[in-house]
Amino acid sequence: MPEIRVTPLGAGQDVGRSCILVSIGGKNVMLDCGMHMGFSDDRRFPDFSYITRNGRLTDFLDCVIISHFHLDHCGALPYFSEMVGYDGPIYMTQPTQAICPILLEDYRKIAVDKKGEANFFTSQMIKDCMKKVVAVHLHQTVQVDDELEIKAYYAGHVLGAAMFQIKVGSESVVYTGDYNMTPDRHLGAAWIDKCRPNLLITESTYATTIRDSKRCRERDFLKKVHETVERGGKVLIPVFALGRAQELCILLETFWERMDLKAPIYFSTGLTEKANHYYKLFIPWTNQKIRKTFVQRNMFEFKHIKAFDRAFADSPGPMVRSGLRGPARLGPCLQVVFATPGMLHAGQSLQIFRKWAGSERNMVIMPGYCVQGTVGHKILSGQRKLEMEGRQVLEVKMQVEYMSFSAHADAKGIMQLVGQAEPENVLLVHGEAKKMEFLKQKIEQEFRVSCYMPANGETVTLSTSPSIPVGISLGLLKREMAQGLLPDAKKPRLLHGTLIMKDSNFRLVSSEQALKELGLAEHQLRFTCRVHLHDTRKEQETALRVYSHLKSVLKDHCVQHLPDGSVTVESILIQAAAHSEDPSTKVLLVSWTYQDEELGSYLTSLLKKGLPQAS
Amino acid sequence: MESAEDWLVESLRLYQDFHAFDLSGATRVLEWMGDKGILVAGYESLKKNEILHLILPLRLSVKENQGLFPERDFKVRHGGFSDRSVFALKHVPDTRLLVTSGLPGCYLQVWQVAEDTDVIKAVSTIDVHETEGSLWSRVAIFSSAAPGVLHGVRLSSLKVVDLESQKTTYTSGVGDSELLSSLQVLDADTFAFCCTSGRLGLVDTRQKGLQGAQEGACSLVISLAPAVKVAHRKAPGFDGTVQVYDVTSWDGMWGRVDPLFTHRGHIFLDDNGVDTAPLVTTHTWHPDKPRTLLSAASDASLHVWDWVDLRASC
Repeated sequence: MPEIRVTPLGAGQDVGRSCILVSIGGKNVMLDCGMHMGFSDDRRFPDFSYITRNGRLTDFLDCVIISHFHLDHCGALPYFSEMVGYDGPIYMTQPTQAICPILLEDYRKIAVDKKGEANFFTSQMIKDCMKKVVAVHLHQTVQVDDELEIKAYYAGHVLGAAMFQIKVGSESVVYTGDYNMTPDRHLGAAWIDKCRPNLLITESTYATTIRDSKRCRERDFLKKVHETVERGGKVLIPVFALGRAQELCILLETFWERMDLKAPIYFSTGLTEKANHYYKLFIPWTNQKIRKTFVQRNMFEFKHIKAFDRAFADSPGPMVRSGLRGPARLGPCLQVVFATPGMLHAGQSLQIFRKWAGSERNMVIMPGYCVQGTVGHKILSGQRKLEMEGRQVLEVKMQVEYMSFSAHADAKGIMQLVGQAEPENVLLVHGEAKKMEFLKQKIEQEFRVSCYMPANGETVTLSTSPSIPVGISLGLLKREMAQGLLPDAKKPRLLHGTLIMKDSNFRLVSSEQALKELGLAEHQLRFTCRVHLHDTRKEQETALRVYSHLKSVLKDHCVQHLPDGSVTVESILIQAAAHSEDPSTKVLLVSWTYQDEELGSYLTSLLKKGLPQAS
Repeated sequence: MESAEDWLVESLRLYQDFHAFDLSGATRVLEWMGDKGILVAGYESLKKNEILHLILPLRLSVKENQGLFPERDFKVRHGGFSDRSVFALKHVPDTRLLVTSGLPGCYLQVWQVAEDTDVIKAVSTIDVHETEGSLWSRVAIFSSAAPGVLHGVRLSSLKVVDLESQKTTYTSGVGDSELLSSLQVLDADTFAFCCTSGRLGLVDTRQKGLQGAQEGACSLVISLAPAVKVAHRKAPGFDGTVQVYDVTSWDGMWGRVDPLFTHRGHIFLDDNGVDTAPLVTTHTWHPDKPRTLLSAASDASLHVWDWVDLRASC
């Protein structure tokens, strides 16, 4: 039986280390290669021992696919490719390819410089790893080899995030990665066509979550910013270059306009430096509204939001430019600022944080997860006294707010996606099957699909019945049509033919044609059965009795009495002979070809019952 | 929707916190299980309804440092399927048992919330003798070492049944066939009832008959906040708002009283695009946060909100 096998790798059940091994049609694919940010030991990596047992990874794996740039999906990639050893292709979308190495490098710096880790992947390893990357476009079918193909679908969630379809022949698997079914202010919603994969793989945590609406999350952010500004405080929002910053800028701009607010918002030019580079990547990945609004202008050009030069962060007012290239002039004090980097571990955001941390009127809004060792992580853990460089202790009196803007699907979203793709089976990772009976039942009932929930390290095997297209020869079709019966979808008919598999071609031809093509002569098989009858008359009379009997019984068949005394029923031959030792016993020789087996057997059993008494 | 955006801007001023959720099906019940979980249940006819045990998002259940918890989402901790519509659901305190009432079929269903899986399973039923098929029994729980289920469709059929033994421990003993609209247990021996006619009464289960009845006193569904401000929701079918009143400011006169606050979120955030605005089906107070309410509406929305007392800012 052909089968698809899925094994989520890694120990523990927590979300945060995505890495799934899929075997399909003889191909082996690794989906994502994430790092668990909560651990500093080997528990942070997926358990690759499962696949290294099979020999060299490059030989075993046909490809690796990365869904998006979040570290819990790509954080272990350089370790995997350069330290464990894998030289095959790594597929991801273009924005992922552009952003991944930056995040990996940031993470590496923090781990080595701030946490003093040894045996971590190096900058060179990140570069070498990225050399193996092959970028893919949305909805573009990519041939990994002549049997395996992959296709990326828009997933929303973050810039460049994709859901992937993996196909071998007529079997396919769809992996969702992280996705979002409701559009953002800067990203659209995930979408997939009715591709009907054998299996859809997605996160179990989505299915057990009922999400607070996007509006309410935004409201909370606006309220905090607004209240802080109203009471004369300052708001620092550390962000990673793109995506989240864009989203929040659009949000603030929209509401500043509506609420007629004057307090200017600033973003550091550290963000805009990369802007033009990402701009080209970004636009095909945004939603329609953004494209319409921003395609004509620089996407960081807002009415209320301005860039400020880092060089002047310390002066009473920063040098302000309107737009990227306007003339610089001394502007008012910073009040609301977007600055990089996102985890407050270095650079401008940390600089501003140090200046503003001492006042309780100020606020810092952390919009995402911070890696251990960063200032961001410390303040989010509740630390209020921080040891900075030079043994200086910084007392944090400013309000610390942790907000999550990550757009994820929830129970409703999963149902929507399953409704779109129409998979035969659903597999949920990162859940505990024992504890999820209700969820399993719900999915199975709603969609009439089977639902699987493997533990990490556990393999789920699905049997599939792939349909193989076969070409039928014209001659064979014509012959069937000649039988006079019209094709009926409700009444399948048995068709005899020979299946010829040549190269990657499947054809159904008549047996004669097959033999001809193969240059083979057909064997003739003939069966002969002896039926003993008690009859004292001569053979010719016995034969006549047989003929009369069969003629009256077998009204649908052609029964003939030949001049030589033998009887034929269709092509079956019956001859009467005298028994060599007992003249009162006659022996009927019933002979037929193997094609007439059914009739032959029937005739034999009929004759064995004896003949009616002659009148 | 334009007005939704406007309302959201208004909401910055009106609410401290505000959360809006979309359930898979509208609920008429909001019952607490512990102080961190709530139970909801569907009431659609002719389909399988879900009973869900939802765990409050951390941001709503922590008492301090709320700002450090970004989690704003409910987690589905347990779920079960009901073939009937669920109109009432009560948790039996200090147990893992639930009692529901609904239609079709006049009986109460007892459920068990599993410990090691996420399943809510039907375990037994309690008979309610009522011949009229369209009526459903009201329910309340006497919580004690041996919990009792108070139920009834009419005054005459009021009963208390011991949950474990299924023995009847109290019957009203009255012939009055007036229909009940709600039941509320007050202490180990007393409960209040409200009839559809508006009649309000108190019962001491140690005595025979019904005591203290008042006409026209309870046409409204009320609930008491832990800090004695009252949330009030007009009887189902009225509108899509929840109104908060302060009983401490009432001087005993039943004249026109203005609400302290009116929650209109269910009307303005209705994304369905249908002409009729959703109706609020139920509400409940947060056990620890004095101004936080949860309200549900017929469009399957569930709001958690903490209103701002505008008087306090004067």
